[in-house]
Amino acid sequence: MRFILRRLGFFVVTLWAAITLNFFIPRLMPGNAAEAMMTRFHGHINPQSLHALEVAFGVKAHQSLVGQYFSYLGNTVRGRFGTSLTFFPDPVMKDVLQALPWTLVLVGLTTILAFVLGTMIGLVGAWRRGGLVDSAMPPIFVITSAFPYFWIAGIAIWLFSLKLNWLPHGGGYDPIDTPAWTWHFAHDAFVHAILPALTILVTAIGGWILTMRNNTISVLTEDYVRMARAKGLRPWRIMWTYAGRNAILPNLAGFAMSLGFVVAGAILVEYVFNYPGVGYYFLDAVTNQDYPLMQGLFLLITVAVLTAILAADVATAFLDPRTRDMR
Amino acid sequence: MSASSVGATDQLATPPAGPAPMVAEARSGRWGDLWRAVGRSKKAVVGVLILLFFTVLAVFPGQIAPYSPTAKIFPPALGPSSQHWLGTTNVGEDIFSQLIWGTRLSLVIALAVGAVATLLAVLVGVSAGYLGGATDGFLSLVTDVILVLPIFPLIIVIAAYEKNAGLLTLIVVLGVLGWSYGARQLRSQTLSLRRRDFLESARVRGERRSYVILHEILPTMTSLIVATFLGSAVYAVLTAAGLQFIGLGDPSSQSWGTMLYWAQSNEALIAGMPLWAIAPGVCVALLGAAFALLNYAFDEISSPALRVRKLDRARLPSVEPSSEPAEPVSVEEGTILKVEELTVAYATDGGPVVAVDHVDLELARGEFLAIVGESGCGKSTLLYAIARLLGAPMAGEIVGGRVLFQGRDLVLLEEKQLRAVRWRDLSVVMQSAMNALNPVLTVAEQMRDACRAHSDWSNAEIEVRSREVLRLVSIDPVHLHSYPHQLSGGMRQRAMIAMALLFTPELIIMDEPTSALDVVAQRSLMMQIKELQEELGFAVIFVTHDMSLVSHFSDRLLVMYAGQVAELSQTSELFDRPLHPYSQGLLGAFPSIRGPKVRLTGIPGSPPNLANPPRGCRFAPRCPSAEPRCTAGEIPLYPVNGSLVRCVLVEDAS
Repeated sequence: MRFILRRLGFFVVTLWAAITLNFFIPRLMPGNAAEAMMTRFHGHINPQSLHALEVAFGVKAHQSLVGQYFSYLGNTVRGRFGTSLTFFPDPVMKDVLQALPWTLVLVGLTTILAFVLGTMIGLVGAWRRGGLVDSAMPPIFVITSAFPYFWIAGIAIWLFSLKLNWLPHGGGYDPIDTPAWTWHFAHDAFVHAILPALTILVTAIGGWILTMRNNTISVLTEDYVRMARAKGLRPWRIMWTYAGRNAILPNLAGFAMSLGFVVAGAILVEYVFNYPGVGYYFLDAVTNQDYPLMQGLFLLITVAVLTAILAADVATAFLDPRTRDMR
Repeated sequence: MSASSVGATDQLATPPAGPAPMVAEARSGRWGDLWRAVGRSKKAVVGVLILLFFTVLAVFPGQIAPYSPTAKIFPPALGPSSQHWLGTTNVGEDIFSQLIWGTRLSLVIALAVGAVATLLAVLVGVSAGYLGGATDGFLSLVTDVILVLPIFPLIIVIAAYEKNAGLLTLIVVLGVLGWSYGARQLRSQTLSLRRRDFLESARVRGERRSYVILHEILPTMTSLIVATFLGSAVYAVLTAAGLQFIGLGDPSSQSWGTMLYWAQSNEALIAGMPLWAIAPGVCVALLGAAFALLNYAFDEISSPALRVRKLDRARLPSVEPSSEPAEPVSVEEGTILKVEELTVAYATDGGPVVAVDHVDLELARGEFLAIVGESGCGKSTLLYAIARLLGAPMAGEIVGGRVLFQGRDLVLLEEKQLRAVRWRDLSVVMQSAMNALNPVLTVAEQMRDACRAHSDWSNAEIEVRSREVLRLVSIDPVHLHSYPHQLSGGMRQRAMIAMALLFTPELIIMDEPTSALDVVAQRSLMMQIKELQEELGFAVIFVTHDMSLVSHFSDRLLVMYAGQVAELSQTSELFDRPLHPYSQGLLGAFPSIRGPKVRLTGIPGSPPNLANPPRGCRFAPRCPSAEPRCTAGEIPLYPVNGSLVRCVLVEDAS
């Protein structure tokens, strides 16, 4: 419990760091982008949009930098990211919440699937050491995980939807549909999710397989695995509760690191597939210079990543009694 | 993707025990060794070749590319032809030439970001690990925060404000955000190095901090530093390509990512210019894969467990066929174990090494046999060969001989048949219970799975039996549901012995079970083992390097040297009248408990290299009474008054 609390504390610090970066980056850029932007937009956009930008950057006339920072911090914590410029006069929060479920389902489920599948394949491969699968695995997956996500996405669209016409080439659902809780819509959304999901799966799985394989090989040299053999346990039992359960611990610890790649990849995959998720809107906001929306989405991504890492920490505490007892 | 290196470097495997010393021990990870190791790895060679190829393209694009990459002089959207290998773009540029010119930027970004990130990682990681205290606390927090921040979106946010970021900005931003993982690894490596002797001695010598860091710490971390560089290079290649692909950065620059951007915005795949979109992606992947392959190969070099070595039987000095299966096994009444001509070899990079060489021994019911010898003499290998537990990290193989136990040759048993024998009739106690008990299962769970494997006891019966065996080794059964880390060292060791007693086997094999304990605890554990043995009647093979430990407990003593039996006799006989000069030397190295005070002499020199053992007597080079005939040929075991001695000096007495 203490362990989880400490991790929670750490995430509050990280979130604060992200918000602070969000505030200072536009100010630290050459020529103080925030101020420059305000001057540039002055007189060109309507007063409401100008106000939206003021909120997004935390710029307020006649306020000191420290004052601006604290009012910005206060607004952000309360979820006030200002108003979106592209979807004016929607508050940023509304757009963010609209994009979130799409990404959660697509990226969330595929990441979990890639992690679980990759971990299992890596474990079994290492267990059958020197076998065909084991010797072929490392070079193949080192190469597949070096392919850029967006490139795989483009090739997948070209091959499976344009050439073979098996699956839709983009979007989250058919444009003639309207989102609703019907079987028809669910099916439509599912069909649209297949290609992006496979793209993320194919590129993300290699990393998990390789880490798990290497961890397992290290763990297989441990005395407790030999002890399990000496006890005459069934291979299946040794593989799961002796090798697997210990090998997955560093994999969970490495989750934070690898998640960065998955998030980067997922953003680009959504972009290529025009998938109406967080990543797509994020890049859209960048292209349209919709800074309030961009900042809101960036913080949302940060929160999502932190939550995923916290979940990995909870899993670690669940699987490793030593972490639970850590003072 | 650097994810591939996460686990393996997170927990660098401990160097394998036994005579397989090709592990980069802390101080030997120097450049020369590294390059030789790289040359041996196929993955590394492929990686280097791809890198060399791209380097040539990046340095001489003008000479290699047939046209200028920006000349819009050809018909647009041509398919591949002999003039235009990859066709032309929608504005009539030669795609092949663009591809070659694009190499430069991608390679420069990879190398420069790798360098910046590695430099920062080394600076932060080593300082944090070496300085410790509040500095470490602060630097570690910063590292961890940057590690979990979503870097790619952050870079996009920065790029969004700085639309036409130049190359330098890109490199700095990628480098400054990409060092955290490496820093974390380097910090933990520095922390573990700090406790090593050579650093302590450097500190005692009064060396300056900068000297210690530059000359003592950094060279030992070469492979980790290289891994950090390669990992950040992969990350740079992919991230830069991603940024250029969405149009951030200079869209007029010549790079693979920019090519992909233009290909995407002109819908190259549909518009009949598929190679425009495919080729740059393949190049990005190849460059990324080259770095990743090298990274992977370095992982294998720094933790040799990742490599599979095959035992080259043809190169064994003398190979004899294993025993015939059909042969009926005749063993004397009262003998429970008979080992005949047991030979074990290890596969090493330099060819097979025979670690146990034609060892014979017999064990009577209820007997206590001790095996002693220096580290690396093959005693543990012999033990695990008898128990058929060889395999990583002791990747030895039995290449000859028989192990007769309960009328069967264990060497020939299938894993499935072995399982029936294991633990019920033959159990094992290992050196360190800290490592031998599964850290994620309670003692009760670890006892339960042994019971489940060999009995149909109910949970209640298992609980009763588990409590019973814990009481046998004087542990309060309240500890049954504890995890190993919650017990003290002595208790863990006892718990492991309790586990070995679950089925009261006929034979318990013990590998230095007391060496992790202090002297008082050692003594009391030995007494306990002896009492249990007398009470329950099991036989023991007990391996130790500490002769005095077993003097009061063992019935017979087997002295091993360089993979061979040097002397085998009654314990009291051996202590009173050691015949082999090596046994004499060993006794001289231990203080006698009963005898008068004598000067401890010890044995000069060190054991021979088993890859190339000396001719004749293997102890001769260190033997004070060596003669010319010692090295003339193989020395047999001579029987002398019921003892067996491998020494020509006793030839006349036998």
